[in-house]
Amino acid sequence: MTSSFTRLLVMVQKELLELVRSLKLLWVPLVFVLLGVMQPASMYYMPLILEKAGNITEGAVIEIPQPLGSEVLAQTLQQFGTLGLLVLVLVGMSSVSGERNSGAASLILVKPIAVFSFTASKWTALLLLAWGSLSAGYLASWYYTGLLFGDVQASKVLGSLLVFGLWLSFAMTLTLFFSTLLRSSAAAAFSTLGTAAALSLLAGLLPKKLGWLPGSLSSFAYQTAVSDIANVSLFGWALACTFTLMAAALTGASWLLRRSSAID
Amino acid sequence: MTTLLEVKGLTKTFGAVQAVGGIDFSIHVGRCVALLGPNGAGKTTTIRMIAGLLSQTAGTMRFHGFVKGDYGKGKVHIGYLPQSPSFYNWMSGLEYAVYAGRLCGLPAGTALKRAKELLERVGLSGAAKRRIGSYSGGMKQRLGLAQALVHSPKLLIMDEPVSALDPIGRREVLGLLQELKEETTVLFSTHALHDAEELCDDVIIIRKGQIALQGNIAAIRNEHRKPIIELQLEQDEVSIKWFTDYKDRLSRWSDEAQEASFIQNIEQQGAAVRFTVREVDSARQHLLEVLTREKVKVSRLEIGHTSLEDLFMKVVAP
Ligand SMILES: Nc1ncnc2c1ncn2[C@@H]1O[C@H](COP(=O)(O)OP(=O)(O)OP(=O)(O)O)[C@@H](O)[C@H]1O
Ligand SMILES: [Mg+2]
Repeated sequence: MTSSFTRLLVMVQKELLELVRSLKLLWVPLVFVLLGVMQPASMYYMPLILEKAGNITEGAVIEIPQPLGSEVLAQTLQQFGTLGLLVLVLVGMSSVSGERNSGAASLILVKPIAVFSFTASKWTALLLLAWGSLSAGYLASWYYTGLLFGDVQASKVLGSLLVFGLWLSFAMTLTLFFSTLLRSSAAAAFSTLGTAAALSLLAGLLPKKLGWLPGSLSSFAYQTAVSDIANVSLFGWALACTFTLMAAALTGASWLLRRSSAID
Repeated sequence: MTTLLEVKGLTKTFGAVQAVGGIDFSIHVGRCVALLGPNGAGKTTTIRMIAGLLSQTAGTMRFHGFVKGDYGKGKVHIGYLPQSPSFYNWMSGLEYAVYAGRLCGLPAGTALKRAKELLERVGLSGAAKRRIGSYSGGMKQRLGLAQALVHSPKLLIMDEPVSALDPIGRREVLGLLQELKEETTVLFSTHALHDAEELCDDVIIIRKGQIALQGNIAAIRNEHRKPIIELQLEQDEVSIKWFTDYKDRLSRWSDEAQEASFIQNIEQQGAAVRFTVREVDSARQHLLEVLTREKVKVSRLEIGHTSLEDLFMKVVAP
């Protein structure tokens, strides 16, 4: 094992310890589990709730067709893509800028470490948090969907989990990038959410022309959950584009950090 | 004597502001060097460039054989303590010192051993397991020292290590530095001449980003040492008038010569008058005669020498 890799591991350990000590490793997955359970539960009890709420003329029969399990899972992913994403971005928004503003970063960057290791350790921790929370929440959702609506194939669950996880990873990489670029964590969160929304919107409006943008990953995930990905080559392009952008954002963040004359 | 750090033409500009304007100096192995200057002189900027936290606008540095692109490799041999260090408040002091050691490439076991040794040494072993968030300013400064030393660096760089401490904390840290300078080369910045005099072999005085004076402290002290005569006068009419007249003649001294051969400069500080003299005996003789003749009421007459403080004030005066 090379010494720079050992140092990277030590730094990742520190990031994880921080996630544990700040209880983020507990409550973020809990939020995802809650979202994952709420979705099937609320869809199952919706007719009942509507009935209890009154306001419905006597004798009217509520006819809401029961959705398929896979559709429920796709809707869960939608929840993860809005509320879940918001939580993750808020957690990650000050990961670099916080340490730079407090001055803790300069005491670390003065050590014989590569700036890239610093960025990469934070990235690894954020990704672990995102994947852990997503998996916990999605598995919970899968379990309740199975109970209430009927089984969904494991392969579909796994496939959509992987694709959606990639979308969250992309969003986390953006968060890290903006957290390095901008001193204010609110601005970083705002920029990340704005960029993610713009990418989704563009890919949603022009799926044929712009379907290769990372923004289309979430809809590819829904497709994987419900049936199959229709346009495989476009999906391939989206994957390639996402990985390239993630690598570029990571490199860019390290470059910014190295170049910035005010690491204090 | 081998040179550990050699700095040539080091310059840093922030936009239109030139913080450091082309300074040259070298630090020899085993020396303790103070970078001395008033607020805003460019001490922090210089130190951060040496520590590799800030890239210079111009100039070169050679540390332990590393130059330019390689300079970063020298970081393994540098220990750095910033002006006001901040750590991870959620970590304990021991965890942080171990972390610092590991980042410097020490294996886990060695890092733990060294961290414990150093915390003991800086007097933090009792608080080693406590969260850094609960430390006082002085404790943080000592933790800063411990983490800077954990990998036994060849050069210890500190930015104002004692300026933020109370007199007791200051004494403690100065005592520690007194020991440390026997083991490693030390460069630290300060705005207090006193600290430099107490600890250092060499001093580099900077002012507005330029070197105003540098060299061995003892040598500077001897070289710039001048005898002075200090008079304390009573504030009566005769005495005041005499002094004003005497001072007025100052401008003419250069032509008239006589007194100018032994009195170099004259300064007034409140009721005290200070003569910087070239030759004590004739100046004293002359002054005593004049004072008696003019019936000046002298309450005190003292013969002494200019201190390093006087020189420092003169050098850094705006
Ligand atoms: N990031 C920066 N951007 C712009 N100007 C700066 C920056 N950092 C320092 N300066 C300027 O450079 C000059 C030197 O600053 P520096 O912090 O090096 O002084 P110092 O000697 O450490 O002072 P002090 O004793 O107050 O710490 C000051 O005029 C300061 O305003
Ligand atoms: Mg300073």
